[in-house]
Amino acid sequence: MPEPVQYRGMTLLVPDNESEWREFYAHARAHRLVVRKCAACGLLRYPPSHACPWCVDLGWTWQEVSGRGTIYSYEIVVHAIQPGFKELAPYPVVLVELDEQRGRPTPDEALRVIGDLVTPDLRPAAEADVAIGRRVRVIFQDLAEHLALPQFTLTDEPPAGRVWRLPE
Amino acid sequence: MTHLRDKYCIVGIGETEYSRGSGRTTRAMAVEAVRTAMRDAGLGPADVDGMMSYQNGDSTPANWVAPDLGIRLDFYMDVLGGGSSTEALIGLAMGAIEAGMCRTVAIFRSMNGYSEVRIGGTGARAAQPVRGLDLAQVPFGMRSAGQNFAPTFMRHMYEYGTTSAQVARVRVAHSRHASQNPKALLKERVTVTDVVGSRWIVKPLHLLDCCLETDNATCLIVTSAERARDLRHRPVYVMGVAGRVSKPRTDFHWAHGPITRVAGWHARDIVFGQAGITPADVDATGSYDAFTFTTMLQLEEYGFCEKGEGGAYVSSGAIDLGGARPNNTSGGHLCEGYTHGMSMVIENVRQLRGTVDDYCPGWAEGAHTYDYAPGRCRQVEDVEITMNLGWAVPSTGSALILRR
Ligand SMILES: [Zn+2]
Repeated sequence: MPEPVQYRGMTLLVPDNESEWREFYAHARAHRLVVRKCAACGLLRYPPSHACPWCVDLGWTWQEVSGRGTIYSYEIVVHAIQPGFKELAPYPVVLVELDEQRGRPTPDEALRVIGDLVTPDLRPAAEADVAIGRRVRVIFQDLAEHLALPQFTLTDEPPAGRVWRLPE
Repeated sequence: MTHLRDKYCIVGIGETEYSRGSGRTTRAMAVEAVRTAMRDAGLGPADVDGMMSYQNGDSTPANWVAPDLGIRLDFYMDVLGGGSSTEALIGLAMGAIEAGMCRTVAIFRSMNGYSEVRIGGTGARAAQPVRGLDLAQVPFGMRSAGQNFAPTFMRHMYEYGTTSAQVARVRVAHSRHASQNPKALLKERVTVTDVVGSRWIVKPLHLLDCCLETDNATCLIVTSAERARDLRHRPVYVMGVAGRVSKPRTDFHWAHGPITRVAGWHARDIVFGQAGITPADVDATGSYDAFTFTTMLQLEEYGFCEKGEGGAYVSSGAIDLGGARPNNTSGGHLCEGYTHGMSMVIENVRQLRGTVDDYCPGWAEGAHTYDYAPGRCRQVEDVEITMNLGWAVPSTGSALILRR
C-alpha cells in the first residue's frame, strides 16, 4: 500500500484499491496525461469512471492525450482556503478544454480538465497572462514515486477564439 | 402529473436566532426550531409523527431531537445534503404521507456553520484527506463553494457580457430587504460601490458577493391540506416541487456544457408543469443566494428573464421590494444568515400568510404599511404565489411553488 502523499497540507489518498485514479497517477508520474477510452464506442472521458456515459459499456483502456488545449474558464484565488495555498495566492485555477474530442459527441461536450496555471518552474502564472482563449500545455508536478499532478502552462501558440479576461 | 397540487401544505415554521457563535449544540438548536414550528402550527407532540433532516456530518439526527419534544415517530430519515435539500425534503415528506407512512412531518436543518464546521471550507473541512473524485479539483486549491462555482460565473461573464456591477445589485437588493428584518445578521444597506469595492475572495467573487456563514436551526412542518385547515394559520399550499434535479455528468459537470447552464433548466418544466402556472404568475421568489451569481443564474433558467440577460434583470429593480418580483425578501443568505435554503422557504410561507415579521407594529396581525424605506415594512402586497429556486451546485438544484 503506497504511503499517503502530503502536499500543501493536504493528505492525498490513492490506495491500491483506488480503481479510478491509481493508474492515472502512475501514468502522470511517467509524464503522460491519460484518459479512459471506451472499448465499444471509442469516446474519451475524464475524470476516470467505470462505464461509458454515452453507451454504458464497461470496457475501457487508458489513452494518452496530447495535453494541449485552450483555457475555457478560470478563477483567481485571492483568499486561499487551504492553509498550504496561502503562500501561492493569488493563484489561477483553469478549466482547460483539451484538443481531443472538442464538441463531441454533442456540441457542448468536451474533454475538460481542472488544473493550476503555472510557470514552467511550477509557480502560479501571472494574473495578467490568464485569459479565456489562451493556449496551454500540460506539465507534470512530481509529488511522490507513484504520483504526479498534471498542471498547465501557457504556450506561444496563437489563441483559439476570442480572448477574454475579467476586467480590472 | 398534477395530482398532488394543492393537496399538501406547510403549516408550521420555526427558526432560532441567526448568530456567529451559538454557544450550544446543533441538538439544542434543532429542538428549539422544531418546537417553535410546532407551536406556530398549533401542533402538540402527538400530532407530529414524521421527522426529516439534512446535513453533511455536521448536525444531529431526527431520533435525537424528537424525544426531547415528547414525540414518538412513525417515520424519520436524515439525509446527506446541503443546499437544495429543503425543497426536495418537502416533496419527500409529501410522498411519505401519501404512502401512508405518517401524517405530519417536521423537516429541520441545524448547523453551527460558523462556530463549528465552517460552511466556507476552512478549518475541519480543509483538513480532510483528499480522495476519490475530490482528486479532480481539490489538489489544485479548489475546495470551497466559491472556488467550485467561480469558473461557471466567469464563463457567464465571457459569454453574455455580465458584469460585476450588475450582479452586485443582488447584494444591494438583499441588503435592503435585510434592513426590514429584525432577525438579519447584516441589516446595513450597501451600494454597488460597496460590493465591487470589497476585497476579492476568488475572482470574479468579491467578499460581498458571498453569503454569510451562520449558526442556526430552522424547521418547516408539512401535512395534508385536509389537516392544515384546522391549524393555527392560513394554510400555504404546495403547487409544485422538483427535488435535486441534475445536469448530466454530476461527477464532473464541466464535461457537459454549456457550463453556464445550471440545473434549473432541467427542473423548470417539472415544477411549472405540476403547478400549471408560468413564471409570470409568480409574485415573489427565493432564489438561493450562496453568492450573488447563483441567484441570477437560477432566475434565468426558470424563465424570469431570457438566458444571458440575468445581469440586466437583477439590476433592473425587479428583484427589489416594491419591484415586479422581489427576491429573498428576508435578506437571504447574503444578509439574513446562511441556512442551506430553509430560511428562504420559511420567508415565502410568511409572505403568503401576510405576516412577515418586519418593523410594522401590527405585523403579527397582518397589518402592514408597504413602506419599503429603511427599517419599515418587507411584506409584499397582494402576494399569492411564491417560488423557491434551490441551489446545491451548478449541476444540482430544486424548486418549490407555493400559494396562499
Ligand atoms: Zn462508449
